[in-house]
Amino acid sequence: MGTRLKSNLYLDVGMRHGGLLLTYLLAAAVINAVVIAGNDYLARATDTLLGGGTVEFSRFFLPLGMMIVIGTVMTYIRDICAYHYSAVVQRDIRGKIGAHLLVLPYSYYDEKGTGSIMTKLISDISEVGRFFSEIMPELLVDFITVLTVSVYLLKMDVMLTVMLFVTFPVLMVVADRLSRHLSSVAGKRRTSIDARTKVAYDAISGIEIVRSYNLSDVMQRKIDFYIDDVAEQGCKSTRITSRGYVLRHTVNTIPVVVCYLFALHEIMTGKITTGDMLAFSVLLSRIIYPLSNIVFCVNDIREVNVSLKRVKEIYDQPPEESGTGAFAMESNDKTVIAWKDVTFSYDGERSVLNGISLQIDKGSTVAFAGGSGEGKSTIFKILCGFYRMTGGSYQLFGHEYKEWEIGAARNCFSYVSQNVFLFPESIWKNVAYGRENATREDVIEACKNANIHDFIVSLPKGYDTMVGERGVRLSGGERQRISIARAFLKDAPILLLDEPTAAMDSGTEGLLSEAINRISVGKTVIIIAHRLSTIKDADTIYVVDKGRIAEAGTHEELLSLNGIYAMMHGKEEADDEEGQQ
Amino acid sequence: MMKKDNSKKPNIFFWFMGLMGSRLPIYLLAIVVSIVGFAGSKIANAWLIKDIMEAAQTRQTDGLLMTVAVNFVVIVLAMFTWRFGIIRYNIEAKRGIARVEKQVFAKVLRLPMSYYENKHSGDFMSKLVYDMERAGDIYGSRLRRLLDGILTTMIYMIPMLWLNWRLTLCLLFVSGLSFVVNSVFIKPMKTVGGRLSAKTSVLMEKITNILAGMETTKIFPTGRQLLNEYDVANEECYKLQKKTNVMSSALDSFNSLFDLLSGLAFLGVGVFFIAKNMVTLGELTAIYSIYGAFRYVVLEIGKYIPQLMNCVANAERIYEFLQLEEEPERYTRNDDGKAGGQSAVSADCALAARDVTFGYEDEKKVLDKFSMKITKGEFVAVTGKSGCGKSTLAKLILGFYRPKEGGFFIEGTSYGAMSLHELRDKIGYVPQEPYLFEASIAENIAYGMSSMAPENVPMEKIIEAAKAANAHEFIMKLPKGYDTVPGERGNTLSGGEKQRIAIARAVLKNAPLLLLDEATSALDNESERLVNEAIERLCENRTTIMIAHRETTIARADRVVAME
Repeated sequence: MGTRLKSNLYLDVGMRHGGLLLTYLLAAAVINAVVIAGNDYLARATDTLLGGGTVEFSRFFLPLGMMIVIGTVMTYIRDICAYHYSAVVQRDIRGKIGAHLLVLPYSYYDEKGTGSIMTKLISDISEVGRFFSEIMPELLVDFITVLTVSVYLLKMDVMLTVMLFVTFPVLMVVADRLSRHLSSVAGKRRTSIDARTKVAYDAISGIEIVRSYNLSDVMQRKIDFYIDDVAEQGCKSTRITSRGYVLRHTVNTIPVVVCYLFALHEIMTGKITTGDMLAFSVLLSRIIYPLSNIVFCVNDIREVNVSLKRVKEIYDQPPEESGTGAFAMESNDKTVIAWKDVTFSYDGERSVLNGISLQIDKGSTVAFAGGSGEGKSTIFKILCGFYRMTGGSYQLFGHEYKEWEIGAARNCFSYVSQNVFLFPESIWKNVAYGRENATREDVIEACKNANIHDFIVSLPKGYDTMVGERGVRLSGGERQRISIARAFLKDAPILLLDEPTAAMDSGTEGLLSEAINRISVGKTVIIIAHRLSTIKDADTIYVVDKGRIAEAGTHEELLSLNGIYAMMHGKEEADDEEGQQ
Repeated sequence: MMKKDNSKKPNIFFWFMGLMGSRLPIYLLAIVVSIVGFAGSKIANAWLIKDIMEAAQTRQTDGLLMTVAVNFVVIVLAMFTWRFGIIRYNIEAKRGIARVEKQVFAKVLRLPMSYYENKHSGDFMSKLVYDMERAGDIYGSRLRRLLDGILTTMIYMIPMLWLNWRLTLCLLFVSGLSFVVNSVFIKPMKTVGGRLSAKTSVLMEKITNILAGMETTKIFPTGRQLLNEYDVANEECYKLQKKTNVMSSALDSFNSLFDLLSGLAFLGVGVFFIAKNMVTLGELTAIYSIYGAFRYVVLEIGKYIPQLMNCVANAERIYEFLQLEEEPERYTRNDDGKAGGQSAVSADCALAARDVTFGYEDEKKVLDKFSMKITKGEFVAVTGKSGCGKSTLAKLILGFYRPKEGGFFIEGTSYGAMSLHELRDKIGYVPQEPYLFEASIAENIAYGMSSMAPENVPMEKIIEAAKAANAHEFIMKLPKGYDTVPGERGNTLSGGEKQRIAIARAVLKNAPLLLLDEATSALDNESERLVNEAIERLCENRTTIMIAHRETTIARADRVVAME
């Protein structure tokens, strides 16, 4: 494997629009130059006037007016560049993060929980935006201001300039101390904000339980705890920043006073003129704030750094493993999927699959049966490439799975489940997500095939009805048929069925099984079965037990084996008979 | 959505400040103290410079060092005054925000059920959090900055006028002009700001979709389509932002034009004044040094008014949210006056429904004059085709909705005669899809005992309940046992395991009436056996209503209520 040169998200995006940033800095430099020139000009005029000379009005104001015009135009350029830069960088970062979320491995979401990723990401992205829109440009301009102004001051009087910078090291030490403290407080505060939102989100998702168990007060207390903590951390950080500000202001006053006194001394000794001093006092007020700002920017940067890091952490997550091959979805022999000694473990310790071998032929129907936690769902996740097997070999259409480009491999599968996620969009869109550029006709046809068209049309808004976690009320059977319609659109050669026809009401069961039969035509079907009655007709039934294939064969073959399957079947029969009495 | 009469709507800004309650005077006082402190240090600073400059002009340095020292001390004292004020202010602001947040989240938990079912949670929550953050800025920064501008202007005026009134009036004229121009921008800025925040929330919703539907996103080509939608929203956001940028830049450059103009003109005029001996160089520099701080604040007033307005718009949405109807403490009875009293149904009847009519929308009736009676100790299975109203019946029994006509009785008492809290205390509910909170398994079970904070529920009771629900064994097998926090979508636990935890919760609640909505998603046989066993144990000596989907369950029932 070739090593991928790791790109730095912020550097990449930040540099891509370097032109804007550069223009911004240039404009800022010009503004400074204008201000300095203007000041100098005035200082000369002052000296002339104080010396008893006269200054002609029009000749005095003409150059000044020019400077003002240049200054205004440059300010416009500077600001529009800064704003555009921040907007474009934010757009790019959002875009990149969005694209990256798609290619992150499933396991990442499994581990971290989509909810916490979501809440963090939303606030972190705006913090990152703040870095590029406020903190960074300001810091750069402060640098330029300090640089240009000091050059001018240096020309005027070297000692004066040196004194200006005397207290600089003190400021640096103070700022550093404080910011360290601050960033830890800021981190704690963010964590509490996240926790607060998460608890609220959790309470809403489980609102039925919250209500029926009278848990509102319990939840409220939990939320309040975090709210109070957020406030507490906020107060703490004020104490620190305000202490910093007082110090900064006091320490800042010292060089100003010293400089003035020194300038006074220089005037007395005739080294500089009164006009010079006037110009100096104007420039001093311009430079003193940026000077300490450069130092205290550390505070902001450390604070934002928490968010910068967290966003980068997501971005730096390696994408899903993927090969490069996009092979034909057919193979020379009839085998579609071949597993040999596949092993798997989530945590590297407890193994979930202990060497599974199997072969699934084209057009056949295969079912996995077995108790919960025996590894059925894991087999599923490995088939789809959500997780990579720890050992063994997995061939899809005659090619090793790891050679497949992951998207191409997934093109071979469609997936139908009762628990399928419906997006908070219209029904039309939810079905259309099955195929890129699906037309209205495609969607309607798929829905007809899935026996859901009539139901959809009966809704007041038809295909435009909104669904989703809190959308229109849909029964399990309706959801499942929508997911079948989606699968119809995708028309993949392998169909994965999770928990099909599970305890449906008899009326809808007919519609559902008809739809499933229709979509199964000409496909290789893999069923994760929980009730054995639904898989009697399967070509091969694999009984999974403790991460192994314990038994394999047709329904009849397995019954005659008199093993696990026969036992499970017996129990279910007894259950059903009991039910019919 | 229910909204109160618009004519009654108070001024949102004053309403929001009113939420501070008795802390408001302290909060405002703290702002004033901080501003006075800060302005004081600036003025002392200017005085210092004035003295030095005058010494430079007159070449008189007697007593200068003393003046410098005194002024320096004043500066430091003023800064500490500022700090005192600013800390108090921040504490009050942060606590004020916390109070508002508590109110909002309390509301979040107390809305009528229909609200949660109509809106998808991500949508209203993320908007709410965003609005809260922005509205909180009123306390946290926006108001202070504006007051800062106004107050500081007034404070600075005194020494400036005192130093030289002619020069100061010239400056005021220029500042006033710039203020007027700035206020012209207030309205368009506010409009665009509102649109921008609407777009941002669309963007957030799109990203939520990508994450929430992960399996689908990965297997179907959905991912690319969602990403497209997200990119489109992102681009729209960017375009709107660009529009705002032009406006902000124009405003900025205008402000700096004034800044330069007034600054340079000031010096120009000042120098003429000096030449005519109408002002000393020291006064000139002092005024300029105060003006340096002054013009900054004045311009800020123009900038902060629109910002404050934007935040008030967010506060308005908070206001509207807080005006939403809450789930009432109790429902009024439909038969008030007619049935007379509460004993229309005998007390040995655990639950009764009388002529209940209900529909989510007005036209479509889900239940039409539905009646039933359940005797104490009975096991009743409710059956019927999907969509016939079984789940709705469960929601009505739990008091999630109020029947349009007719009513329910529990233990002979009408629902209207007790609070929803009391009513729900009597029912142990196990939903179709068990919901586990993002808390430890122990806490999830402890929620069954709502009379007690979950952390105070004794562990023995939790374990006892888990054992009764057949959950103890598998919980002990988990590496962290009862401290395990089930993964967000319960990924680490199987459906049967989650169900058993939900049953343990109901066991702990120990309510006289059980309401079970049988899971439709199939369990494998072993875990089904464990679940059924747990349910049987739970039902012992209790009245049970089971929304049934399976033949086996129906067969076990004492009585079957078939719905159509």
